[in-house]
Amino acid sequence: MISVSGVHKNFKSGEQTVAALNGIDLQVGKKEFFVLLGPSGSGKTTLMRCIAGLEKPDAGSISLDGKTVFSASPRSNVPPEERQIGMVFQSYAIWPHMTVAENIGLVLTHGPARLSQNDARERIRHALGLVQLDNFEKRPARLLSGGQQQRVALARALAINPKLLLMDEPLSNLDARLREEVRTKIKKLVSELGITVLYVTHDQVEAMVLADRIAVMAHGEILQVGNPYELYRNPKSALVAEFFGSMNWLRGKVLDKYCVETEIGRLEVDFRGEPNGNVVLGIRPEDMKIDASQEILRNRIEGTMAHSTFVGDQMIFEIRVNDTLLTAKAMPDGKKPEGKVSIYFPKEKMIVFPDISSD
Amino acid sequence: MKGRWLLVGVSAAALLPVIGLLLVIFWMGFWQSGPGEPVVYTLNHYRNILTDSFTFKTLLNTLGFASTTVVVSLFFAIPIAWLVERTDLPGKELVFTLMAVGALVPTFFTAMGWVFLLHPRIGVVNRIFVDSFGLAQGPFNIASIIGMGWVEGLGLSSIAFIMIVATYRTMDPSLEEAGRIHGLNIVKTLRYITLPLTFPGILAAAIYVFTIGLSAFEVPAIIGMSNKIFTFSTFIFYKMQPLEELPNYGVAGAVSSLLVVLALLLSWWYFKVLRFSSRYAVVTGRAYRPKLVELGGRGRLYAWIFLGLFFLVAKLLPFFLLTWAALLSYFQPPSWAALSQVSLRNFYGLPWDLLLAGARNTLLLMLAVPTLTLVLCLAISWVILRSDLKWRIVFDALAFLPHAVPSIILAIAAVFVALFLVRNILPLYGTLSILILVYTVSRISFATRIINNSLAQIHPELEEAAFAGGLRVLQVMRKILLPLLKPALVYAWLWMALLCYRELTMASVLVTNQNNITLPMIVWGLWLGGSLNQAAAANLVILVFMLPAVLLYLTVGRRSRLEEAL
Repeated sequence: MISVSGVHKNFKSGEQTVAALNGIDLQVGKKEFFVLLGPSGSGKTTLMRCIAGLEKPDAGSISLDGKTVFSASPRSNVPPEERQIGMVFQSYAIWPHMTVAENIGLVLTHGPARLSQNDARERIRHALGLVQLDNFEKRPARLLSGGQQQRVALARALAINPKLLLMDEPLSNLDARLREEVRTKIKKLVSELGITVLYVTHDQVEAMVLADRIAVMAHGEILQVGNPYELYRNPKSALVAEFFGSMNWLRGKVLDKYCVETEIGRLEVDFRGEPNGNVVLGIRPEDMKIDASQEILRNRIEGTMAHSTFVGDQMIFEIRVNDTLLTAKAMPDGKKPEGKVSIYFPKEKMIVFPDISSD
Repeated sequence: MKGRWLLVGVSAAALLPVIGLLLVIFWMGFWQSGPGEPVVYTLNHYRNILTDSFTFKTLLNTLGFASTTVVVSLFFAIPIAWLVERTDLPGKELVFTLMAVGALVPTFFTAMGWVFLLHPRIGVVNRIFVDSFGLAQGPFNIASIIGMGWVEGLGLSSIAFIMIVATYRTMDPSLEEAGRIHGLNIVKTLRYITLPLTFPGILAAAIYVFTIGLSAFEVPAIIGMSNKIFTFSTFIFYKMQPLEELPNYGVAGAVSSLLVVLALLLSWWYFKVLRFSSRYAVVTGRAYRPKLVELGGRGRLYAWIFLGLFFLVAKLLPFFLLTWAALLSYFQPPSWAALSQVSLRNFYGLPWDLLLAGARNTLLLMLAVPTLTLVLCLAISWVILRSDLKWRIVFDALAFLPHAVPSIILAIAAVFVALFLVRNILPLYGTLSILILVYTVSRISFATRIINNSLAQIHPELEEAAFAGGLRVLQVMRKILLPLLKPALVYAWLWMALLCYRELTMASVLVTNQNNITLPMIVWGLWLGGSLNQAAAANLVILVFMLPAVLLYLTVGRRSRLEEAL
């Protein structure tokens, strides 16, 4: 559905040139819910705006549904209004001088569809029905609440029957409770309608809930593409791993094919690839098992419980081993271990990256 | 408690003259006879406005003049505002600075320049046409309603620009993008989205400029009066200080009253439109970076040509012509023969004693008026925003009046009061004090607005914390509010000082002798007396005096504050 290859985009601010996109390649399939995830300044919004046609890349090409909409050489560019895209902006961009119906109707009657007033009215009613805003047609847009504006923006984007729906952080201006509710509704709605969605967010939970696949971006590059489980379990870099939740990092030296001598002791590891020399070893807090038994088995290391916190659905432990503080999570069982504990590091749950900082 | 009543008292004392002067004007309009004679009241003057053909023609002149002003100023202001706010044009800050400084260039200065350029008889352009094509008469006439509207409009395009820039800035660019992406082409996006959204802002600017145009004095006085073309302001001036007959206060009062009512209606409309347009201003949560329109090489070239032409026509040409005129003993178009006559004789021949007296008075005004205004307006703003006084809405309304009432009318009312009502108690007539008082009254709206905007951004809890600590109202004012308001106060002080420097409208009525003469009045006096070249020379001299103050303003001033005050 979307095919992006070799896209570069630079911005000039004063004398400086900032590379917002640095050679992006991306394929999004039909009916896929695809999320661009990254911190602010990672280039995710710029990439979306290039696909929309609101920014022109400096190099590369973009095609939608098999049709080239932008190419740097030979030069070609389809203006945004001819790309048949629906878009929900972060600010919603609801036209304040119009009613709800006019907001949706303007693009139906004056856009390429050129619907008659009667046909447009039917489409407006249908679109408002999809977002559960029936009978809101006559409401002046500036009297809408934030959540209602968000739904009108979605209705407007869906009313033109787009092949592709772009959403730029559409939930970031809603309060937390509403966000969760709307998130589920959006997911359900677009899968019923069977349209392709490209969704930009900086919130990894939102990304994991919504996405079929996620592209993690940073510094104008795509770090990794995959489904939420892959990204969580098999991050290809420390940066991606950190982005999907907290990690305990241990520096170490590879001893042989199975073993790493870390700062807290020797650990057996499942290597992917063949790293050698200095490595960092990562394990998520919920993957470490803690018990008070002093039985020393493989991959068990002894530490001292420094602090434990009960937060309802889980316990959070801080454990000191030598000078290193580790964080572990577990289901609460009413016990509060103290003193010496033993930590078990399952070897299949540990990931290893070459240690770049020690070079 | 004492401090509180002191502040209320000071505000009341500042605002009473406003309402007093206004009532005097309405009262004047019903006087059949002049002062000193037994008072007879009549409605004749009002009847005359519509029936007397000369008065009626003045009414039409004024409307035509103000309309032309609007068209000309918007013609330049809209594209320049768009270029500065929505395109990637390089050097935007410079353009903005030049526009702000442009608002400070005295209008009488550019008006004289345009006379030298386009006067039907002596104007350079017309002379060239007459000489090269053997025409009997030059093709252009600056001494016409359109001509005067053109000059006034060029001057006011700075103000219009500053207002329209704000409109473009507060519009969220994604509103336009949402149109494009869902299938509207550029033209339809402009037609259905950009234009309706910016229209209220532009309409507000148009009403504002029209209101100023209705009562503008300097251009009609410099260009129109000697050619017997009158607008309301010069008509009123003429009735107050006629050359042959006795002053006719009744007619002046009636026409002034009409003008005041018109201006009040327009101001009411202005605020209605402004409130409407602010509903469209989208404040997005994050600091969005609006996507700027890429002009491209050719677009930039056209943009710079347009800007260059504007500055050339609005400021540089008049300046060149004035300089040329100042170097000649009688005005003639540039030629080799004329070049040999160039000398500094006009500068030597200037009435330097008078200029020094004028400089002293002007300097005193520049120091006294902004200071006095700020003291009074601090009290007014405090009463409006911080007191729990039931009547504070009245203070708010009264503080707005000087904005709507044409300043020449304030001056006329003040002269009337000084001459006939308080002559024996307060000898104000012909003194510098009356200038200080009237200038101050006329600036109350501007200063109150600036202080209100800043005070509204200071959380009242900052003061309450000080009250809780035992400080009293005046101590809180001095220790908490003054330091926090300082940037706004400094800015307002400088801007008002500069406006004092170029003020001619009120001075034309209030200055009556050498004791209270100001620099602009000397220039105007030379001009009215027919010494056009000496007037040009004097103009250059006072412009040089003004430069240090302008530079100070530029180093201290921030562009946003001017927008707040309009």
